[in-house]
Amino acid sequence: MLPRAIDAYRVLPELVWCGFGVLMMLMQPFVRSRHFFTFLALIGTLAGTAASVTAAMHAGPGFGGLVQSDSFSFFFRLLVGAVAFLVVLASGPYLERERLPFAEFYSLLLFAAAGMGVLASAQELLTAFIGLEMSSISSYILAGYRRDALKSSESAMKYFLLGSFATAFFLYGIALVYGASGTTMLVKMDSAELLHSTLFELGLAMILIGLGFKVAAAPFQVWTPDVYEGAPTPVTALFSAGPKAAAFALLLRIFATVPAATHFWFWAFWALAALTMFAGNLGALVQTNVKRLLAYSSIAHAGYILVAFAAVTSMAQGEGGAAKAAPAYAAVLFYLLSYALMKLGAFTVVSQLGGTGEKNLSLDDYAGLSQRQPWVAAALSVYLLSLLGLPVTAGFFGKFYIFKAAVNSHLLWLAVLMAINSVIGAYYYLRVIVVMYMREPSAEAAALGPVSFPIGVNVVLLITVAGTILFGVYPNPVIQFILQPTLLGR
Amino acid sequence: MLHGGHLLSVVIFFPAVGALALLLLRGDDHKFIRVIALIVSLAEFLFSLLMIRAVPIGAAGYHLEEYLKWINQPPINYHLGVDGISLFLVILTTFLTPISILASWKSIEHRIKEFFVMLLMLEVGVVGVFLSLDLFLFFLFWEVMLIPMALLIGIWGHERRVYAAVKFVLFTMAGSIFMLIGIIWLYNASGTFDLPAIQALLHTPVSQGGLELAPRTEMLLFLAFFLAFAIKVPLFPLHTWLPDAHVEAPTAGSVMLAGVLLKMGTYGMIRFCLPLFPEASRRAARWVAVLAIIGIIYGALVAMVQPNLKKLVAYSSVSHLGFVVLGIFAFHNISMQGAVYQMLAHGISTGALFLLVGMLHDRRHTFEISEYGGLATPMPKLAAFFLFVALSSLGLPMLNGFVGEYLVLLGTYQRHWGWASWAALGVILSACYLLWSYQRVFFGEITREKNRTLPDASAREKWILVTMAIVTLWMGIGSTFITKRTAAATQDVIDQVEPQRAYEASAPHVSVPLAKNTSASAAKAALSERLGVR
Amino acid sequence: MPTYPMLEYLWIVPLLPLLGSAVNGLFGTKWPNKIVNLVAIGSTGLSFLGAMEAVREFLDHFAQNHQPFHKIFFTWIAAGNFRADFDLQMDQLTVVMVLVVTGVGWLIHIYATGYMAHEGGYYRFFSYLNLFMFFMLILVLAANYVLLFVGWEGVGLSSYLLIGFYFLKKSASDAGKKAFIVNRIGDFGFMLGMFLLFKTFGTLDFVQLFSKADPWPAETMGHLGTFTIACLLLFMGACGKSAQLPLYVWLPDAMEGPTPVSALIHAATMVTAGVYVVARSHILFSHSETAMLAVAMVGCATAFFAATIGLVQTDIKKVLAYSTVSQLGYMFLACGVGAFSAGIFHLMTHAFFKALLFLAAGSVIHAMGGEQDMNRMGGLRKKIKWTFATMLTATMAIAGIPPLAGFFSKDAILFSAFQNSGGQHLLYLVGLLTALLTSFYMFRLIFLTFHGKPRYDEHHVHVHESPWNMLVPLAVLAVLSIIGGWLAAPALWGGPDYFANFLAPVFGSPAGPEAVSEGAVGAHQLELVLAGVAVGAALIGLVVAYWLYLKRPGKADGLAHSLKPAYTTLLNKYYVDELYAAVVVRPLLWISANVLWKAADVGGIDGAVNGIADGARAIGDGVRHAQSGNTRSYAVWVVVGAIVIIAVIFFWPANGKPVLGLVR
Repeated sequence: MLPRAIDAYRVLPELVWCGFGVLMMLMQPFVRSRHFFTFLALIGTLAGTAASVTAAMHAGPGFGGLVQSDSFSFFFRLLVGAVAFLVVLASGPYLERERLPFAEFYSLLLFAAAGMGVLASAQELLTAFIGLEMSSISSYILAGYRRDALKSSESAMKYFLLGSFATAFFLYGIALVYGASGTTMLVKMDSAELLHSTLFELGLAMILIGLGFKVAAAPFQVWTPDVYEGAPTPVTALFSAGPKAAAFALLLRIFATVPAATHFWFWAFWALAALTMFAGNLGALVQTNVKRLLAYSSIAHAGYILVAFAAVTSMAQGEGGAAKAAPAYAAVLFYLLSYALMKLGAFTVVSQLGGTGEKNLSLDDYAGLSQRQPWVAAALSVYLLSLLGLPVTAGFFGKFYIFKAAVNSHLLWLAVLMAINSVIGAYYYLRVIVVMYMREPSAEAAALGPVSFPIGVNVVLLITVAGTILFGVYPNPVIQFILQPTLLGR
Repeated sequence: MLHGGHLLSVVIFFPAVGALALLLLRGDDHKFIRVIALIVSLAEFLFSLLMIRAVPIGAAGYHLEEYLKWINQPPINYHLGVDGISLFLVILTTFLTPISILASWKSIEHRIKEFFVMLLMLEVGVVGVFLSLDLFLFFLFWEVMLIPMALLIGIWGHERRVYAAVKFVLFTMAGSIFMLIGIIWLYNASGTFDLPAIQALLHTPVSQGGLELAPRTEMLLFLAFFLAFAIKVPLFPLHTWLPDAHVEAPTAGSVMLAGVLLKMGTYGMIRFCLPLFPEASRRAARWVAVLAIIGIIYGALVAMVQPNLKKLVAYSSVSHLGFVVLGIFAFHNISMQGAVYQMLAHGISTGALFLLVGMLHDRRHTFEISEYGGLATPMPKLAAFFLFVALSSLGLPMLNGFVGEYLVLLGTYQRHWGWASWAALGVILSACYLLWSYQRVFFGEITREKNRTLPDASAREKWILVTMAIVTLWMGIGSTFITKRTAAATQDVIDQVEPQRAYEASAPHVSVPLAKNTSASAAKAALSERLGVR
Repeated sequence: MPTYPMLEYLWIVPLLPLLGSAVNGLFGTKWPNKIVNLVAIGSTGLSFLGAMEAVREFLDHFAQNHQPFHKIFFTWIAAGNFRADFDLQMDQLTVVMVLVVTGVGWLIHIYATGYMAHEGGYYRFFSYLNLFMFFMLILVLAANYVLLFVGWEGVGLSSYLLIGFYFLKKSASDAGKKAFIVNRIGDFGFMLGMFLLFKTFGTLDFVQLFSKADPWPAETMGHLGTFTIACLLLFMGACGKSAQLPLYVWLPDAMEGPTPVSALIHAATMVTAGVYVVARSHILFSHSETAMLAVAMVGCATAFFAATIGLVQTDIKKVLAYSTVSQLGYMFLACGVGAFSAGIFHLMTHAFFKALLFLAAGSVIHAMGGEQDMNRMGGLRKKIKWTFATMLTATMAIAGIPPLAGFFSKDAILFSAFQNSGGQHLLYLVGLLTALLTSFYMFRLIFLTFHGKPRYDEHHVHVHESPWNMLVPLAVLAVLSIIGGWLAAPALWGGPDYFANFLAPVFGSPAGPEAVSEGAVGAHQLELVLAGVAVGAALIGLVVAYWLYLKRPGKADGLAHSLKPAYTTLLNKYYVDELYAAVVVRPLLWISANVLWKAADVGGIDGAVNGIADGARAIGDGVRHAQSGNTRSYAVWVVVGAIVIIAVIFFWPANGKPVLGLVR
C-alpha cells in the first residue's frame, strides 16, 4: 500500500534533512561561496528541527508502524536538530581554517542527523538498522574528513572496521529476534512466552552489544578515544552528542515496548554501567591531551547514563512498571540533553583553541588561559563544572536525577560506585580549571596571544552556556515535558 | 522589604549583588574596589543584625520563614528560616567577612577584583547553608560554596596552593556526594526535601502516616550525612586536608575557613544528624565521642610540635572543634549550648589568631617559628594582641573561649564523666602549645636581624584587632545575650534526640503543613516496603 | 543611700585595681613614672580603703543579722539548669583575706615604686601588678566556684606575666610558662571537681552548695565517695596553686620575677589561694576523712621536703622560695587536721613576715646592685641597718621565736597536729623537725648575709641603704610580724583565741587548741609544753646555724664535703625537675613529633589518602596502555566483551535478587 501524506508528516524532519543534504551535493559543483553553504546548512538544520514540530503535531505510528512520531521522538529530533545546527555554526570557521570543502561536510552532517532522527523514531528493528547505518556511514566519512591528516584517516579506518563489526552483531541480533518472535515490530514482541525463549534472549543480547558499541559502553568503548581524538573536533562534538543520544533513544524504546528486554538485561546493564564508569574516569585521569581527556570523560558519562538504564530495567518490571520507571526514563533524557549542551560547548572551545592543524591540545596550552581569555576560560569552566556535576549547572540536575533513579530502584551499590566515580571525575575536571586559573601561561602561549573567536563560535558558546545554567537553575519545563505519561505515544 | 518577609533572602543574596557590581567595575581602580567590597560587607552585616529582633527568646522553631515553590518534580522548594542556632552563625559569617576584607587590604596585590568577588560569593554560599530549610537547597549552597573557597586558596595562596585547593575540594566532595545519596534516599522514604516536614513526619506515629526508618536504613542515612559533616569539621581522622588548606590559604581564606566553614560541619550535625536520625545518633554517639576526644588530644599534641605557626593554629582548630563535636554528641542541653557557643567563640579567637599570623607573614613572608623570636621588642602592640587572643583561645575565664569549653565539659560530665575527664586534658595541652609558641615568637632576644626593624601594628591592623578583642571580651562576659537566644533551639534538638521524648515532642513548630506533600506521601506509600521503611 | 553603701557596691573594690591596670596599660607607656605611680598606688590604696569600709559595714551587718553578706550583680553564664552569676560575698574568712590582700598588696606597691624605679617597662609592671590585685580580689570575694575560678586562673595569668616580666631572659619566660602550665595541671583537677559537685548538688554557689552538702553523711577512711573524690580533685588544684608536692616545681623558678612580685604573689597572697580554697570548702573536706588525711600528709611532706632543700641553697631568693613552699605545707597540715582557723591564722602571719623577708631580701639585692648569691655577701648589717633590723625580725617570726607572730600561728598548728593526728604523732614530729630546719636555714641566711666578713669586692659594689619608699613598707610589715600573732596569744595561758573565735561563724566552733582552751586545764598545760618544745627546736636551729656559719666558718663546707651525695642531691632539689623532664616532657614531645605527627598524620592518614590517589592513577595508566591503538586488539576486546555480556545475561539471575544483603 502507498504511504499516506500523514506518514510523510511523521518523518518530515528526516525528509527535510536528507533533502537539504542532497540539494547541497548537487549544488556543490556550481556554487563557490563557502558562506552560502554554511547558510544553507543552517537553514536546513533549522528547517528540519522546525519540521519535527509538524511531526509532533501529527503524532502516531507511520508507515504501518515502522516509525512512531510521539513526544519521545520529538524530543530527540529537537535534540539532534539543535546539535546539528550548533555543530554547523561551530564548524564553519574550522573548515575555513583547515581548508576543507564545505558542501560534502554539511551534507554528510545532515544525512547523519537524518539517520539519528530515524533511529530515534524507529518502531521496527530493520528501520532502526537503516537509521543506524545512515548515521554510522556518514560518521565514518566525517571522522576521516581531514584526509591529509594521518590521525584522521586512521580514526576513520578504525571506526569503520569496528563499527561494521558491531553492526554485524546488531544485524545478527535482529535475525535471531525475528527467528524467535516471527516479527521485527517492537510492539508485537510482548508475548509472555518470549520471556522464556533462549533464542530471543540471545538475539536481544546481540542487539545490546551492537548498541553498546554505539554508545561506547565498556568493554566496547575501546575505539572511542582514538576516533574522538583523530576526528575533526567539530565532528567529535557531533559524535559525543548525536549518535550516542540516538542509540540510547532506541534502547529506551526497546525497553518501553519489549517486556523481555527489561527482563533479561538488568545485570548486563549493571555490569556495563560499572565497567564503563571506571574505564572512562580512570582513563581520563592520566590524560594530558584535553581532547582525549574529554573523549574518555564522554565514556564515563555514558556509564552514568547506563546507571539510569539499570534503574529502568529494575523499575520497569511487572505491572505498572512503565509508570514506576518514568523517572528513570526522564533521568536519561534530561541527562542526554544537558550532556549534549556541555560536551558540545567544551569541544567547540577545544576546537577553536586547537588552532590550525589542531596543534594546541595539551593541558599546558591552557595554562593561564583565564588571564589571556577570561571569558573563554569562564565558559569552559562552566562546562567542566557541569560535567563534574556541581550545582546550578544542568549537569548537576542530570546527575541528581540519575542518583534519584538509582536510589529509587534500590541500586545502592551502583549509586555508590557512581559517587566514587564522580569524585575521580572531579579530580581531572578540576585539573583543567586549575591549569587555566592557577598556572601562569607558558612563554610561547603568552607570545601566541589570544585566539580569535568568530561570531559563529561565540553564538555556540553563548547558547550552550546559557542552556547549561538555565537548566541548572530551572529545569522545570524540560522535566515537565519528559515526565508526561504519553511520552512514548501510549 | 526589610520589615517584611524577605530579610533572609536579602541576607543571602545581597553579597551576590555586591559581587556582580564589582564585576562590572573596571579592574584597575583598586582602592575603589576595596572600598565597595567593604561597604557591601558592612551593609550585609547590618542586615544580618536585623534578624536578631525576629528571633524571640525562648521560642524554638524557625522564624522569618520564606517559602517558594521551585522545582515540581521532585518537589524542591526555596525554603528559608532562621533559629537561635543559625542566627548567630550567620552573624559570625557576616562579621568575619568585612574583617577578612580589611585583612586583605594590602596583602592581596594581584587580581584584586576577582578576589573580593570570590570572598563575597563565599559569603553567599555559607549564609545560604545556614539559612536553608530544604535539604536540596542546603546541599546546593553546600556545594556552591566550594568553588570560591577553592579559588581563594588556589589563586591567592602560597607555594603549594594548588595541591591544597584540589585536596580541599576532593575531600569535601568525597563526603558531600554521599550526603546527596543520603538526601535522595531520605526523600524516597519521606517524600519531601523539606526539613521541618520530615521532622514532623518523624514525630508522627506511623499509624497516622508518620515516618519511621528501619534501624539499618537510619544508620546508613546517618553515616551518609555524618561523613560529609565530619570531613568538614574536621573530625579525626578526616582532618588532614585542613593543615594544608590553612597553610596555603591567604589570610582572609584562613579566617573564613576556620571561622565559618568548619562550623558548617558541626552545624550540619546539630541541624540534620541529630533531629533526623535520633536513634542512629544515639547508637553512634559513643564512637563519635571517642573520635572527638582523640581529636582534642591528638590535635593539641600535634599542634604543640609544629615548626610552622599557621599549621599550629590549624591543628589547634582540630582540637577545639573536637570539643564542639563532643558537646553535641553528649546530648545534654548544657553541653549542646556550650557546643554552639564554642563554635562562635572559636570563630572569633581562631579567626583573630589567623589574622595575627597573617600580619606577621605580611612583614616577614614566612610562617616558620624559628624565623621569629623576640618580636615583643619591635612590636609590643602586636605582641599584646597576640597574647590576648592566645589567652582567649586557651580558655581563660572572662574571655570567649572559656564559656563554650566550660559548658561543653560541664554538660558532658553530667552524662559521661569519663569523656569529660579525657577531654579536659585538652585544657592543659592548649596552654602548652599556645604559650610555648608565643614564647618562641615574641619573647627572648631578637635572633634574626630582619626582625629588629619590623613595624608595629598599623592603624588599619589596630582597628581590626581592637574590634576582635572587644568581641572576644564581650563574649566572655556577656555570654547570656547569646545563650538565652540559643537555649530554646538547642533544647529542642535535645528533645528530638532523647529517647523518652521521641513522640511527645511532636514538633509543634513545623511550619509546612503536610498537605503540601500529598504526592510525597503517596510516593512514600509506594516505596515504603521497597525501602525497608516500617 | 543604702544602709551599707560599700557592700552594695562591693564590686568597686576589685574594679579599682582593674581600672588602674587598664589605664596604665593603655596610656602608661607615654607617661613619666610619677603619674604611673599615682595611678597604681592610688587605685590599690583606694581599694584598700574601700575594703576596710566594706569590712566595717560587714561587721555591723553581721551583728544585725548573723548572715554573711551576699549580692548578685549580674548573671555571667546560664545554660540549662546551670547558672554562674557574678556575685560577691563577705564573711569573716573573706575579711581576713581581703585585708591581707589589699593591705599587704598596697604596701608592696609602694615598695615597688622604689625598687623598680630604674627598670624599663615601668608602666607595664604596674599594669600587671594591678591586674593581679583585681583577680586576687575576685578570687577571695567570689561567692561561687566558677567566679572563684575566674580569679584563680586570673592570678595565674598575672603571675605568668610578672614572672616573665624580663622576657628577654629565656629563663624568665620559661619560668612564667612553667608556672602557668603547672597551674593548669592543677586546674584540670579543680574543674573536674567543680563538675562533680555540680552533678551531685546541682549548683556551684557556695551558700546553696554547702547548705545542701552539710546534711550528707561523712565518708569514712578509704571510702571513695563523692566528697572524697571531689575534695581530692579540688585539692589537686590547690596543690598547683599553692605549690605543694608534686606540683611545687614552678615556685622556685618563679623567683625569676622582680622581687616585689615574689613578695606579693609568690609569698603573701596568690600561693595561699590553695589554702583559702580548702578552708572555703571545709564543709566538703570535713565530710571525707580520706581527703583530710591526704591534705595533712601532703602538707606535712611538702613542709619537710622543701625545708631540706632550703638548707643548702645559696641564692637568697631561692631559700625564701623553698621556705614559702614549706610554710604553705604547714597551712595545709593545719587544714588537714581540721584546724582551719589555725591554717588561716598562719596564712595571715606568714603573709606579713614572708612578704617582709622578700622585700628585705629585695632591699639587700638592691643594695648589692643585683647580687643574689649569699656567698658573695656578708657583713652587711652595718651598712644597711634598717634592712637588717626588719629582716631579723621577720626571721625570728618565721623561726617561731616568741612573742612574734610566727610563734603563735605555728604553735597552734603543731598543737592541733599533735592532738588531731589520730594517736600516732608522726605529723606532729615531722612538723616539729621542719620547724627546727626552718629556723636553721633562716638564720643561716641572716648570718651569711649580714655577718662575717664581706665576701664581695668592696671597690665595685657600693652598698647603700634603700630609699624611704622601700623602707617604710619594711617597717610597717616588721611591726605586723611582731604583733600579728597576739590575737591568739591569750589562748596560750587559757584565755580565748580571738582569731579563732572571729572565724568561728565560718568554721564552726573552734577545733584544736581553741576547743581545749575552754576549760580543760590539762590540755593547755600540754600546749605550753609543746610550745616550749617548739621554741626549743627553733633555738637549736639557731645555735647550729650560728656554730656552723659564724663560729666555725668553713665547717659547713667540710660537712657538705663529707656528706657529698646528700648535699648534691639537696643542692639539685632531688632532681625533680630533671625527673619530670625525662619522664613526661621529652617523651611527650618526641611522641607527638615523631609518632603522632610524622608517622600517623603525614605518613599514615595522609599517606593512605595519597596512596589511593596514586593507585587510581596507576590503574589509569593501565587503562591507557590497554588502549594500544591496534585495531585487531580492539576487535578482540569487542569479541571478549560480547562473550562476557552474553554470559552475564544468561547465567545471572534473570532479574536482580539482593546481592550483599541490602542492595544490588
